[in-house]
Amino acid sequence: MRRYVLRRLAVGVLQALGITIAVFFVIRALPADPVSRIVGMNPTPESIKQARHALGIDMSLFQQLLTFLGFHGDGVFTGSLGKSWVSGATVLSEIAITLPTTIQLIVTSFIVALAIAIPIGMATARRPGGKLDKGVFGYGLFAGAQPEFWWGLIFIFVFYFKMGIAPAPLGMLDPELTAPDAVTNFVLIDSLIAGDFTAFKSALGHLVLPVLTLSFLLVGPLLKMTQQSMSRVLSSEFILYQQASGLEKKSIGRSTLRSALAPIITLTGILFGFMLSGAVLVESVFSLNGLGQYSVAAVLNLDFPAVQGVILVISVISLFVYLGLDLLLAKIDPRILVK
Amino acid sequence: MQKRKIDPLLLIGLIIIAGSLFLAVFGNSLAPFDPQEPVGDFSMPPSADHWFGTDGSGLDVFSRVLAAPRVDVAIAVTAAIVSAVLGTGIGLYAGYFTGRFSEIVMRISDILQSFPVFILAMVLVTLTGRNVVNLIFVLAFLYTPIFVRLTRSEVLTQRTRTYVEAARATGNSEFQIATRHVLRNSLAPSLVQLSVTVGFGILLTAGLSFVGAGVRPPTPEWGIMIASGAPNIILNEWWTSIFPGIAISVTVFGYAAAGNAIERWARK
Repeated sequence: MRRYVLRRLAVGVLQALGITIAVFFVIRALPADPVSRIVGMNPTPESIKQARHALGIDMSLFQQLLTFLGFHGDGVFTGSLGKSWVSGATVLSEIAITLPTTIQLIVTSFIVALAIAIPIGMATARRPGGKLDKGVFGYGLFAGAQPEFWWGLIFIFVFYFKMGIAPAPLGMLDPELTAPDAVTNFVLIDSLIAGDFTAFKSALGHLVLPVLTLSFLLVGPLLKMTQQSMSRVLSSEFILYQQASGLEKKSIGRSTLRSALAPIITLTGILFGFMLSGAVLVESVFSLNGLGQYSVAAVLNLDFPAVQGVILVISVISLFVYLGLDLLLAKIDPRILVK
Repeated sequence: MQKRKIDPLLLIGLIIIAGSLFLAVFGNSLAPFDPQEPVGDFSMPPSADHWFGTDGSGLDVFSRVLAAPRVDVAIAVTAAIVSAVLGTGIGLYAGYFTGRFSEIVMRISDILQSFPVFILAMVLVTLTGRNVVNLIFVLAFLYTPIFVRLTRSEVLTQRTRTYVEAARATGNSEFQIATRHVLRNSLAPSLVQLSVTVGFGILLTAGLSFVGAGVRPPTPEWGIMIASGAPNIILNEWWTSIFPGIAISVTVFGYAAAGNAIERWARK
């Protein structure tokens, strides 16, 4: 078991590093020139040379790679992921501020989406072909076709502008509040640590609409998967046997859910990995300073170290999420480990 | 003889697809105003002259909604077709002639699919230059692995069928068997996926321009239109963002519905 985890981690870290190095070369092979942003219109040859030197792209590609990896100071192996070309701060310190906002947003959205999808999916699975069943199919189809950023705007229009029950879509806290001391950079957790319940309530309020937007769409695939998986298990022989043995409905329900959980967990993992970068549009609508917003700025400013850093961090997180979910799957169904 | 009932989902999907293709060709000429020229007052609510109102720079929203499929739908359809043709070809080869090439192809598409799609698309489009042609290339590149995977797994099951054996016995070359017989029987999953992929492509194209990493304003494009109306929606100027969003949502739904209906029909 421990060997399995270690091997997966080792392979995964190598893979993430490989992806990042591939990105390193690809972004340098493409025609965009990061110098143009710095020198402005009508640059002199000297200013171009200076700017190229300042960014370190006058060195050979190999030397640049060594710099990125951290052989000449801040880099991947020193843990800082190098310095941003825009702010001069280390990429790690910038990701450490933005990532928690994104994680907080998507974890909350998944909790809400699963809390809706699993009970409804279980209820509709009992009557395949019924009205509810068709409703689930229709909702899945509908949710998959929606531009989430547009729904975010609609929710802002309805709940903030028209009804006035949601806070202004500008960040995580009311502007007149001072942010609690940054310990974890998760505003919800930091405000609890500081014992600042006003800030906690404000942060929770600011989360409602973005979470509503994301979970509104996440419910679609999760609901469909729960329903399919549940109805497959419900028609299996061991459930029939439990029913024939006169077990209570509750206990049958519990063992059905347990057997039906694996594909739901797998889908959650895939969607989670997707959301790490997919949440960017919702972050943008609600002005949340998350990883998505950070990556948009990095790309548009041609801030190569930041782009590389974001991709490395997302790959590593997805890796841990997939591993964690696989271990959870093995806990639910130990047969998986035998394969 | 029993009359075949047409799946209403398929009907709705096909009508929407036909409409979107029609607008991609004729939308510009149908538009009552020039979609890139200010028509007078800005931020005017919907009226008899301007059905969907005008936006913050005085452009007619209705004309822009009609003209946008030339960008959104054209990009997504072209990219989906290119990736389907490429992916089906590669998938056929990798599935029929298993071996080292097949292994390498699958590893590459594994890695491509494990990438954060939105960021990768953003990086590639921004660095190659934000225009329609580059968007098509990037989307086609990102969606090819899906078709490789689908076709390959179908080919893997088809190649052991008896008809392959029969074709071989009657003296067909391996290449002929693969391209004439196996390919024809392995197309169904890709055809379903093609329709769904157009929908993804529209969402991605609009999303990229929404964050400023897609085609440039004032190109009539749904994502740009939603973005341009976004700051004003809390000033009650809802029409600039709402109408293009409905257009995206209906169009993508149409492609997804058709894909799903074809899949259901193929399973019967």
